[in-house]
Amino acid sequence: MNQYRKIKPVPKPNHILSYFKLELWPLTLITISGIIYNVGMLAGPYFEGQLVQRLFDIIRGYKDFYSMVRLAVTYLAVILIVQLMRSIKRFYVRRFANNTSRHMRHMLYNSLVNMSRDELEQEGLGTIMTKAIADVDACVEGMRKFTTEVFDTGVVLAAYISLLFFYDWRLAIISCIFTPAAYLIAEQLKTRITHYNAEYKKSAGRLNSATMDRISNSITYRIYGSELNRDKAYESHLKDYEKRAVSANIWENTMQPLYNIISMSGSVLIIYFGAKNVLGTGWTNWNIAEFTTFFSAFTKMALKSSKASKLFNSVQKAQVSWSRIKPLMREYVVPDTNTSIDFSMPPKLTVSNLSLYLPGNPPILKNISFSACRGQIIGVTGPIACGKSTLGRAFIGEVPYDGSIQISEHELSELSGYERSRLISYMGHAPELISDSIRENIQLGEQGDIVRYLQAVCFDEEVAQMPQGADTLVGSSGTRLSGGQQARAALARTFYNARQILILDDPFSAVDKTTEKEIFKSLRILAQDKIVILISHRLYLFPTLDKVLFLDKGTGVFSTHKELMQENYIYAKLYNSQMAGEQNE
Amino acid sequence: MNKNTPLMSVVYKIIFNSKGMTFLTIIIIVGSIVATLFPPLILERIINLLTAQRQVHLYLALIYFGLVALSGLLESGQNIMITKFGQKVTYGIRREMCAKLQHLPTDYFTRNEPGKITSRFVNDVDAVDSMFTNGIISMFADTFKVLSILIVIFYKSKGLGLIIILVTPFIFAITRMFQKRILKSQLSNRMAISKVNNHVPETISNIRMIHTLFRQKYMEQKYDDYIEESYAATDKSNLYDSIYSPIIIFISSCIIAIMMILVALGGQVQQFFGITVGTAVAIIAYVGKVFEPLESIGMEIQNIQSAVAGVKRINEFLQEPERKKTDSSIVNVEYAPNTSAYIRFEHVNFSYDKENTVLSDLCFSVESGEAITLVGRTGAGKSTVFRLLLGLYSPDKGRVLINGVDADKISDAQKRKLFGYVEQSFHPVAGSIAEQISLFSPEISLKQVEDAAKLVGLHENILNLPKGYDTPAENIAFSQGQFQLLSIARAIAASPKILLLDEITANLDSNTERQIMEALNRASQGRTVISISHRLHEYTYNHKIIQIGK
Repeated sequence: MNQYRKIKPVPKPNHILSYFKLELWPLTLITISGIIYNVGMLAGPYFEGQLVQRLFDIIRGYKDFYSMVRLAVTYLAVILIVQLMRSIKRFYVRRFANNTSRHMRHMLYNSLVNMSRDELEQEGLGTIMTKAIADVDACVEGMRKFTTEVFDTGVVLAAYISLLFFYDWRLAIISCIFTPAAYLIAEQLKTRITHYNAEYKKSAGRLNSATMDRISNSITYRIYGSELNRDKAYESHLKDYEKRAVSANIWENTMQPLYNIISMSGSVLIIYFGAKNVLGTGWTNWNIAEFTTFFSAFTKMALKSSKASKLFNSVQKAQVSWSRIKPLMREYVVPDTNTSIDFSMPPKLTVSNLSLYLPGNPPILKNISFSACRGQIIGVTGPIACGKSTLGRAFIGEVPYDGSIQISEHELSELSGYERSRLISYMGHAPELISDSIRENIQLGEQGDIVRYLQAVCFDEEVAQMPQGADTLVGSSGTRLSGGQQARAALARTFYNARQILILDDPFSAVDKTTEKEIFKSLRILAQDKIVILISHRLYLFPTLDKVLFLDKGTGVFSTHKELMQENYIYAKLYNSQMAGEQNE
Repeated sequence: MNKNTPLMSVVYKIIFNSKGMTFLTIIIIVGSIVATLFPPLILERIINLLTAQRQVHLYLALIYFGLVALSGLLESGQNIMITKFGQKVTYGIRREMCAKLQHLPTDYFTRNEPGKITSRFVNDVDAVDSMFTNGIISMFADTFKVLSILIVIFYKSKGLGLIIILVTPFIFAITRMFQKRILKSQLSNRMAISKVNNHVPETISNIRMIHTLFRQKYMEQKYDDYIEESYAATDKSNLYDSIYSPIIIFISSCIIAIMMILVALGGQVQQFFGITVGTAVAIIAYVGKVFEPLESIGMEIQNIQSAVAGVKRINEFLQEPERKKTDSSIVNVEYAPNTSAYIRFEHVNFSYDKENTVLSDLCFSVESGEAITLVGRTGAGKSTVFRLLLGLYSPDKGRVLINGVDADKISDAQKRKLFGYVEQSFHPVAGSIAEQISLFSPEISLKQVEDAAKLVGLHENILNLPKGYDTPAENIAFSQGQFQLLSIARAIAASPKILLLDEITANLDSNTERQIMEALNRASQGRTVISISHRLHEYTYNHKIIQIGK
């Protein structure tokens, strides 16, 4: 795969010219081969005329057999060169498009992957970006067609027209007069075609979302007995789509033969006046070769020009796509990895007077203070919706805060994304797996031993039993694994990548109790040189934790399990009711 | 393609039902091919007149143009007919597929991701459409074109006819070779493209992990690698694509050159080729035309081939085993006091995969109007009990009875009046907020929708939305708790007899939690209630407990 040029960031990615500039070399090749090929296109009609004339001359006895052989060989040699140029042009135009698509996707993806979760989810940029990336294809397709047609239509038309003028300028003028009319009509119809096309696209969009809705909510519809009437609604979408698809396609595809007819009107004049030329009674004197060449070149030109309106359409489509992509094209982001922090220092965490709030809302938590040092596991709990998950998310910069979170003398809010990621590891509720192997999901591009991490999360035996072991693919978002397997794979990844401070939000919710205890043992070992914040609503491990932060009614008590049991009536009640439930099970 | 596949029978049905259109399509295609045959013959006449130094009349020029115009018009007509036909097929297939959905067993939807099923409806059907329009129909037209041109050439010049007939298989072999290679690289490209496309939504849903583990560069590299993979495959198919057509054009030039040389030999050879100067012009025009459809046939074979996978997938979909038939004669499964209990599980055994038993020998019964709570550890099968009750699955052994009727025999149409199911989380559907509650059921009036909303305490909130009950789902700025309330409204809108409450997974603040509990209390009035052990302990505290699993 390394035979291709590496993808490089594109300077000024929101200028379409930047992409053309990057491809100077293929574009030069395209230009040279495109001009030679298209001018060489004249060779076909020219030689065909000459061959016929030569045949005429031989039959008449003016020329001998070998002159035909020589002519035929020259003809073949010229066609060979012209066609060679054509393949070079075709190939490089496509490569140009391919490279451009690669660059555009590369740039869009770069801004996507560096967007915050908030931007992607709250502001809906995720969907917009997904659409933009899908737009790249249409845009590049338009750029490709444009580049192709500059030569295949522009150059070739110019060449044909000059040939016609060279042979008989008067006849050329009157026979070509119809072609602009075809263009004019095409131009007039353009808005209508765009309109029908837009309607068609919209209908397709509606149909697709209806399909998605019908399928993804199938079970819901089934439970509520609504499947049949949803099918009816779907059918009306289908009808609408059929109607619009037909009208859009008719406008787009049936006009071209009609344009060709208009352009071909000139043929009447050519036959009539051209014949006069051959018979010596016209504007100039022609032989059969000149008649044939003129006629054949004209026919080819008429066909070409009738296709030119397609060029307008594709360029227009490309412009529409580009206008959607353009505002999202940002300069290439290289995340800042400069730092003066020594990450090997033993961790220390001091949280004082912390208040958490979502912008525009009253604080979720107030006056939280606690601290931890190396080797400690701190339990965080509280009733439902007490803000424990929000507290966890504050450590990864997703929640703004007042007060202070100090990590080994550094204030959290002043850390860069890179520094934060080197100090704090986090695991939330979603396993967030990528479609790759189990191994790759844990290592994420690094090379290290994963077996001990699989053991740590009690996943090693199951993995060993899979046909491909750790190289088993997990499917899109991990769907080929069970919920419990996904959770353990994610936990193994978190352990593998663990930094000084480990935030685990309800890591054991998808595993049974025996497994949970096993994993907790491993966590103890892993935590020897770290600080672990264990957020959980299951309390039976809490007696073994070093400290407990109990959140309730917007604030928190930092103590030990033992003391909380004695002093905090709500904590004691919560713990006791869970332990009572244990006995029941 | 096998005639007996469900897809083909759909297509046959469409052809059969629109005989007039099919006939017209064939007529227009044949007409358009015949019309393209004539202009070179007129040209031949003209050249022959000229070589004999004779006058060319205007009417000949007009006939030439007339024929060109006619063939152009017929070509437009052909395009229209093919488009219409293709769309009819598309419509028919999608309709058939949609009709299949309601017969699929529930576990089909849990086994297959919605995106994948949707892609069968969208992409695979589009592929079949293009298989018909740019594949089969145009291939039929093009083959006919090649044959008719060959006949004309043969008629004009036996020698040239012979050459072309000899060359055609060779050209076809080249074409096939190219096609096979192109297809191969296209397939690998498609695989790479699906990875490229999957990577974007995956990045969006995993963005937190990517940032906290600082793997932006890694994810970018992965994306670039996928693109690279697709690039390499496309590059290969582009290479073949770029040299194919030039080769064909060169071969047709070779034929013209050879013909001219042979004709120039004179004597008997010329006799065999039977050519005048005018014929030479006509034949050059034909040679150009005979390879054009040959090239298209190449493309069409490719289109058909690339659609084969789609066709296969559609057939597989249409052949999926269907779920148990329900019994539509069973109506009004209301409580009849003479039966022993309203809901009964009799020695029920169940497993999803025939390997891991979820329920074994489960027995319990619920009286009408009773409120019970199922308890048991995660995975013990509490939700499975619901699915069996709802008839989504059938027990492997034993019976699940509602008022003496097997749950899986109750038709879907009856379910809404029987069950109100509050799902773990709210599943929004595409529609207005009123439709979120009614789920498009024509039997539920707006009044019933409003009553349901009032009961859960959402009526005021809904009226405050920009378009009230007509506000589209995507514009509803509700909290998770409010969606949960909406889910309760949906469950009770049709006044069902039985209320099923699944575990609520949303994170709720205590205020909303209270609201939900009150709504549930109101919703439970006068109903048989089964709930899964709830964190809303206060709601379930006076329920009868049924233990599921050990």
